[in-house]
Amino acid sequence: MKERVEKLIKAIHEITPKDRKIKIMNVCGSHEHTITHSGMRSLMPENVELVPGPGCPVCVCSESDIINAINLSKRDDTILVTYGDMLRVPTQIGSIRSNGRNYKMVSAPHEVLKIAKENSDKNVVFFSIGFETTTAPTAALIETGLPENVTILTSQKLTPEIMEILVKDSEVGVDAFVAPGHVSAIVGANAWKVFPEKYGIPTVVAGFEPENLLLAIFRILLQIKEGIAELENVYRGVVKPEGNRKAQELMYKYFEKTDVNWRGIGYIPESGLEFRKEYDHINAKKVFNLPEIEEKKVPGCICDRIVLGKAYPDECKLFGTACTPRDPKGPCMVSMEGACNIWYRFGTR
Amino acid sequence: MCVGVPMKVVEINYPMAVAEAKGVRRNISIMLLPEDEVKVGDYVIVHVGNAIEIIDEKDAEEIWKVLDEVMAILDEEEG
Repeated sequence: MKERVEKLIKAIHEITPKDRKIKIMNVCGSHEHTITHSGMRSLMPENVELVPGPGCPVCVCSESDIINAINLSKRDDTILVTYGDMLRVPTQIGSIRSNGRNYKMVSAPHEVLKIAKENSDKNVVFFSIGFETTTAPTAALIETGLPENVTILTSQKLTPEIMEILVKDSEVGVDAFVAPGHVSAIVGANAWKVFPEKYGIPTVVAGFEPENLLLAIFRILLQIKEGIAELENVYRGVVKPEGNRKAQELMYKYFEKTDVNWRGIGYIPESGLEFRKEYDHINAKKVFNLPEIEEKKVPGCICDRIVLGKAYPDECKLFGTACTPRDPKGPCMVSMEGACNIWYRFGTR
Repeated sequence: MCVGVPMKVVEINYPMAVAEAKGVRRNISIMLLPEDEVKVGDYVIVHVGNAIEIIDEKDAEEIWKVLDEVMAILDEEEG
């Protein structure tokens, strides 16, 4: 393997055009993990920048939704259920763990069923956050059949849609995308076709193993050298062109595209999924008449710029001093998928 | 949360199944895969307790190589 990696790195240096900066964005915490952990940045030609984008669902979950979750957990008649990462995300009123009351952690949506059964006299609210890889499982839970005491608070984002916003933002200046492997398993490699075809941006779907990721970067640079933009998939064992049709059907059976609020960024048109009207009775936002709470920025935190690839974690004044994984001030430091968390663990660039 | 874990399906009771990885068994949902497509012995990628795709054994091993590194780091930090 070492030999193949060395060959790939050598080839990358040989083919990379040196006359301009080349910015390659990944949109997946696991990709950023591989890049940072393996020291891949230092192996790239000087003019090639590997930048993390919005690959962390916890980082972009709107503050309003988290505050609503905290407040729901304070009701005597309610239990809030969510993923472990969400418990520590800071907001203007603290985190679910620091300020919530009745909450439970799950690692899979179907664990909600057991909690609902054991607490049949309580409202159980499942706070479902994330990209397509968590939204489809939530749809599967609903399809399995929800007990009467379960409702769902959704904060679900769509990956291709945010990437299209990034492409249009000249401050970001993305030259190419490494598309996320497991999101692609759901949405299909073809979901990224818009980037090469409409915007002329080379896009390669990649897995998480360093060699596979290097291969994706090589393919991107080769396209740039040849002046073409195509969609390629180097993670074929997992990602089909059309994706997981059943997962897509279930997602769009219960949810529809709508404008959603990205933390620090604001509302982005058609960039998330919300319940269709006919499911108001399981939509916690409707059942509990939840308000929209105005976001307050964490002073000094630049997570919003980091998520958009406009800044690197070590450009933040709080990074590694006031803000650490043990005591996160901003959302990018909380989860294993947040760029700040990853950079803190592995020692920056 | 978005980290996908390859597991081997050892028992099916659609839409639920039991899957195994590294000697650990977990109840997973296979609702996101068509009932007639997933079989005992298949390797699947599991995200938040849901199988999202069937993969072959070779790909499962490749993905585990990366995950083993992540796990080692986590163990170090907790220990």
